[in-house]
Amino acid sequence: MEQDQELLDRCLAGEDSAWEALLSAHTRRIYNLCYRFTGRVEEAEDVTQEVFIKVFQTLKSYDAAQGSFSTWLNRVARNHLVDHYRRTRKDRVTSSLEDELPAAEERPSLHMGPTGQVESRERRETLQLALDRLSPDLREAVILRDLNDLDYEEIALVLRVPQGTVKSRINRGRLELGRVLKRMEGVRGPAKAGNEP
Amino acid sequence: MTHLELENLASDYLEGLLEPALKREVEAHLNACTSCLEMVGDVRRAMQLCHSAPELEPAPWLVSKIMRATVGERKPSLADRLVAFFRPAFQPRFAYGVAMAVFSFSIIVNAAGINLRHMTVEDLNPRTWFFRANRAGHLFYARAEKFYYDLRVVYEIESRLRQLRSHPEEEQEAPKQEPPAGGSTNSAPLTLPALASNRAPVVDVADPAATLRNEIVPNPPTIEAVRSQNP
Repeated sequence: MEQDQELLDRCLAGEDSAWEALLSAHTRRIYNLCYRFTGRVEEAEDVTQEVFIKVFQTLKSYDAAQGSFSTWLNRVARNHLVDHYRRTRKDRVTSSLEDELPAAEERPSLHMGPTGQVESRERRETLQLALDRLSPDLREAVILRDLNDLDYEEIALVLRVPQGTVKSRINRGRLELGRVLKRMEGVRGPAKAGNEP
Repeated sequence: MTHLELENLASDYLEGLLEPALKREVEAHLNACTSCLEMVGDVRRAMQLCHSAPELEPAPWLVSKIMRATVGERKPSLADRLVAFFRPAFQPRFAYGVAMAVFSFSIIVNAAGINLRHMTVEDLNPRTWFFRANRAGHLFYARAEKFYYDLRVVYEIESRLRQLRSHPEEEQEAPKQEPPAGGSTNSAPLTLPALASNRAPVVDVADPAATLRNEIVPNPPTIEAVRSQNP
């Protein structure tokens, strides 16, 4: 966090290398957040780029008193994703077939064997399909909590809603996700969680 | 505890955020209600799936793409420019080029007769270079010519040619003997056409002047003949 603040100060002083360091530190997280919302790799890359362009343009408006840079970044990304979702809603209805195959163009990880890569991909696809069936409010709450590991307070800051609402949305989102996964398991067979024996 | 109350507490229960008393109530309900137990199991699996979902690796060019979109192409620093300037010097082509340049320079210096160890101001004058190079060229040509003429083969060829030029009539007047017409040559001795004589003319020891005259004019006309032609 202190490192972010230092990089931010240098960045505001016009140091390009500081901006590059900030990007390197946060791109992966924002990219994954975008992927969870969009479900498509190329779209996630484009949205990630748009988010960082917006961040770069509004960097001076960041106020450390209102939360960490990471929280602020998540909020900017979330707001942009909501706008993006509204803009592309019609396209999504017409291209539902593409949404069914979100992981066809993903880059495989070099750290896993072929079996591990297949299992990992199956888990990701299953989860993505299940998340897509949730309403946007519940989905973003679950993503921020269970996939981005933000705490309730941070999620409340990002979503600009009370913590009680956050807890409620997360709980409802998990319940809904559990039901969707159960229905999908009935059709496709169970998806193994990584930490299960 | 009702089913709805338990449903609202499912996340807190699974995250371990419930007070001990409330937790006991939930567990008691779960022990008695299979549908709620199943529901909590579904939520637990969903949470486990989320936590075990692997993160995606962004494209390696994404950061540089965003950098270009935000701050534009980065201006190269002095060190970058120096490295870019000297990069060709590390190519093999550059080494070949330098070697050829040194070789050419040494040839020119050698041809111009410049001694690099004892250089004078005059050596730097282009006119001196030209004069020395011209002189060296002529000397080289003269030496090559001398060498050529000193060769034994060349000497012999030239002497034969000189002899041929001095006896052109002998060549033309050499008797042409027809080979016997048809049949075998066994009965008649084979006579080959006379080859041009390479031997020096035999000098009459008694009258060498006559021999010389005969060489110059083989059949000199008589005085009477000359007078009759030019009365």
